[in-house]
Amino acid sequence: MSKSQELEIKNKYTGEVIRTIPADTPETVRAKIKKAHRNEHLLKEMDFFERSQLLSKFATKLRFKKAQLKDLVVAEGGLPIKYSEWELNIVMTGFKFCDWYYQFLEEKSLTSIEGEQLVKIRYIPHGMAACISPRNTPLSLPLYQLGANYLVGNGAIVKPSTACPLTMLEAYSMMEEMNLPGLEALNIVIAPGEWAVDEFLKSPLIKTIMTITSSHTAKDILVRYGRFLKKTVDKSMGVAMYTQPFKNFFFECAGNDAGIVMDDVNLEKVAKWNVMASYTNSGQQCFSMKRIIIHQDIYDEYIECLIKEIEKLKYGDPTDPDVDIGPLGSRRILMMMEVMVEDAKKYNAKIYTGGDKIDTGEDYGLFYKPTLVEIKPELCEDLTKAPFLWREEAFGPVRSVTKAKDMKDAIRLANASNYGMRAVVYTSNLKNIDVFKNQLEAANIYINARPMLVDITVSLGGIKDSAYPAGCKYYPQELVYGKYIYDGTPLNLEKIK
Amino acid sequence: MEEELTSQIIDKKAYKTEIARKYTTFLSQYPEIFSDLIFGSDFDFALYDSLESYIKESPVDIFNVYRNGNGIEIKPGCAVDSDLELALSIDAIEKLIQTKTKEEYAKLLGSFYNNPDEKKGWIDFVLHKRTQTLINMGYGRFAKTAGILEDDDDK
Repeated sequence: MSKSQELEIKNKYTGEVIRTIPADTPETVRAKIKKAHRNEHLLKEMDFFERSQLLSKFATKLRFKKAQLKDLVVAEGGLPIKYSEWELNIVMTGFKFCDWYYQFLEEKSLTSIEGEQLVKIRYIPHGMAACISPRNTPLSLPLYQLGANYLVGNGAIVKPSTACPLTMLEAYSMMEEMNLPGLEALNIVIAPGEWAVDEFLKSPLIKTIMTITSSHTAKDILVRYGRFLKKTVDKSMGVAMYTQPFKNFFFECAGNDAGIVMDDVNLEKVAKWNVMASYTNSGQQCFSMKRIIIHQDIYDEYIECLIKEIEKLKYGDPTDPDVDIGPLGSRRILMMMEVMVEDAKKYNAKIYTGGDKIDTGEDYGLFYKPTLVEIKPELCEDLTKAPFLWREEAFGPVRSVTKAKDMKDAIRLANASNYGMRAVVYTSNLKNIDVFKNQLEAANIYINARPMLVDITVSLGGIKDSAYPAGCKYYPQELVYGKYIYDGTPLNLEKIK
Repeated sequence: MEEELTSQIIDKKAYKTEIARKYTTFLSQYPEIFSDLIFGSDFDFALYDSLESYIKESPVDIFNVYRNGNGIEIKPGCAVDSDLELALSIDAIEKLIQTKTKEEYAKLLGSFYNNPDEKKGWIDFVLHKRTQTLINMGYGRFAKTAGILEDDDDK
């Protein structure tokens, strides 16, 4: 037996230990997987609407405990308290109205050319899922992963980030308090990704791996899975065979979203939204607007507006209701921001504002000042030569900005990326809107949308390196497979008797 | 031109509690809050003296608001085929009926939903029909007008 370890969860701003919790060992992870699998039938004994009503009730419980959860999100996640409301609301809204997702799971009848309705497509849960959640959202994403599996009837193991697992553990204990039926089929694992992912990959009980992580880590998971596949040679047939079955992989990865600002909008108003879209949660969001593309005719004036708004952002103690920018989640992010800005300087990039850090020398209280960096448009075209800040996801408060000659050029620049999560456009020219909708390469297109939208229709997903499989998506629809059922009985019963 | 809606309180004497009588009288001032609901919408207002009684589904009083062709009818008891239940704590209602304008009422109602407090007041709702059906009946827009769901222009 591996010796169980304890994990100290620290306040991201003060460094104070919030709580010490026991960490899982490979043995306890395996035991949790087995237990959840053994109890998966409890979920299947309820129908979709029973499970959705229970999740809706749970959303009410979450709402009553919101203050307590908010404090934890702020402490362990470093999210400013004003942003933590959004973090909670997005999942509470999703759960409260979760039967809305039934539209993706409802059995469909297909009509043949002859007009017969003999075919049905029925949606069946894949089975046990292992879910790996990121550090930037201590509650919404891990809980959404857990809830989506519960909703469709899959058992699930969720591994929140070891940097901030407390809010998710608290949410899970609230489910226990309300004796959520079928909870025995769900569990939380507290373990580092390095070995926990291997346990998930090796387990034959796990049918689906869902992760929200960087694109590079997601690819690494596939490589690791490849190593577990054992090739055997069937002597009688003389062919190589792999005995392990396929797993489903759902990866939500990095975003390097473009935001286009055209010359026909109110610059001051759009700059306010832009700053919210780009710097909320210190820019540590996959869907944050990271590459700002501005029409050349308004470039200078818009930059002034942006700088004015960026410099209004207050950073510091995340419990302060006026603070916009909380501490960074890790030293690695601070280093990444420094590297990206230094790299951009090598290209003679202009730093419009920011570019400084606050480094306590510890693993807490780390800040990078909200930063805006100009990248020359000619540097954006060839991604092998483009500055790091343009070509890779800046998962922190540093944003690049560039100039477009016109709509066509703006679209070209926006599409000059290996990522394709979202693309955002601000324009009042109604004739151009369809061109943006059709030509932007991203799974989610937002035209003149308010940033940080809390709406059940908001989808996940991406194309290129932003997600696998590609496309906009809602978790419940990814967690089931379609079963084609042709029932020729009405036509053929007499013929086969 | 905005349609002017009427309101009617049916069988006032049938309410079990004084607070329900006061609240129905108060609501009847603002039938326009219900203007987004389609004709035939009918939902319950359930009044609870504690969170515990809400969990036990044991309200102290209940009435329903029916959207008819001209406005609303407020009737004692549960609706025959209620679309949803709006649950309110008595503490919340006591504060809500003190508000002076529709806007003030909506703001306070929203705060009781978004920041519920067992002692200071809370509201919740339980859907009796599918979310998509209720959206089609206008409940999403109603929730915005009533202050329960955040309005796009709030921020």
